[in-house]
Amino acid sequence: MSDESNISGHDEDSVLVAEYVLGLLPEAERESLRARLKAEPALRSDLAFWRNRLASLDVEFAESPAPSGVWPRIEQRLFTGQARGGWWNSLALWRSVAAGALAVAAVAVAINMTAPRPDPKAFAAELVAALHAEGSNVSFVALYNSGSGELRITPLSGDQPSDRDYELWAIEDGQAAKSMGVIAANIRNEVKIAPDILVDFGEGTTLAVTLEAKGGSPTGVAQGPIVAAGKATQI
Amino acid sequence: MAAETAEIADLISRCALRDRVAFKTLYQRTSAKLFGVTLRILRDRSEAEEALQEVYVKIWQRADRYVPGGYSPISWLVAVARNHALDVLRARKPRSEDIDLALDVADAGPTPEKAASDRSERSRIDNCLGQLDAEKADAVRGAYLDGYSYEELADRHKVPLNTMRTWLRRSLMKLRECLSA
Repeated sequence: MSDESNISGHDEDSVLVAEYVLGLLPEAERESLRARLKAEPALRSDLAFWRNRLASLDVEFAESPAPSGVWPRIEQRLFTGQARGGWWNSLALWRSVAAGALAVAAVAVAINMTAPRPDPKAFAAELVAALHAEGSNVSFVALYNSGSGELRITPLSGDQPSDRDYELWAIEDGQAAKSMGVIAANIRNEVKIAPDILVDFGEGTTLAVTLEAKGGSPTGVAQGPIVAAGKATQI
Repeated sequence: MAAETAEIADLISRCALRDRVAFKTLYQRTSAKLFGVTLRILRDRSEAEEALQEVYVKIWQRADRYVPGGYSPISWLVAVARNHALDVLRARKPRSEDIDLALDVADAGPTPEKAASDRSERSRIDNCLGQLDAEKADAVRGAYLDGYSYEELADRHKVPLNTMRTWLRRSLMKLRECLSA
């Protein structure tokens, strides 16, 4: 074994597959080997051989705790159809939390829902959402009255910060959040829903409140943390 | 260990069935390991973090391709992470040259020895790597664990590129013999 040419055809292939598994092949060779792997069962058994044997080295990859921001971004990528980061990240997680507060909201709804429903095609029923989030003491109940096209946001708990504002957002699955304006945590808010939001507004729409600079996010995209969020539900 | 392996396999299968809770559990169980992989190969924390994110997106999207029994489940996950990290590495580096140049450097390798085969896979590969020259075993480990290219390996071991190719390919041949024994 003093010369490369001593490596026979099959051995040559096996070494090639090992180089492939190790990641040593240039792109062109990688591609051509991939094509061969599809066609040649013997090569595939070489592939299994090398993968399995070399995988014994996997124990040498030392564990290192993943940074906390990674998981929310994965969820965002896979489950919300959103392309951007920021506060939106944790929303999927918080939605489920907010759902638990619906019971509270239902009581409030019984008292508030008195208006007529002139547009049954757009909304079969009135909507309610309970907005809160883990780690936040701010919560709201949102009631939608299709007769007036108004959303009534009543704070249940939380303080109004003096140097910042709460901003309300409407979010449809797979779309960017749309601002519904600044709301206060110390008074009842009545928000007229803008036509571009009303188009999709209905059961399943998520309402979220973020803490923003005074006057709301200057960019039209939420920048602060979510302090409360919840899904609109028919009642 | 066997129970843990079975559990990871089960979590991957449930991901294939679009079970998000299983996916989160899988992430909690395995992300430290896979971050270890991307970190070691990419040697850059923010790139490794970005890669980890992509790796789990792939795992979710390709969970149905995992065949239980074929490959240990954690190895499958490590392979997804390792391959992705290698892709990132290649994309940021100049392409390596073609490899099918004349390999004209002779090498006086050590005599292959018979491997003890009644060991676990782990001690088996250690044993077989142990039968290579230390430098050559290091090169194999460097390629697998650190994602070193032939160029980097040649630099690190201070030998010409073609010599490194010859070394490594010979070493792989010997390794194969030993691991098959």
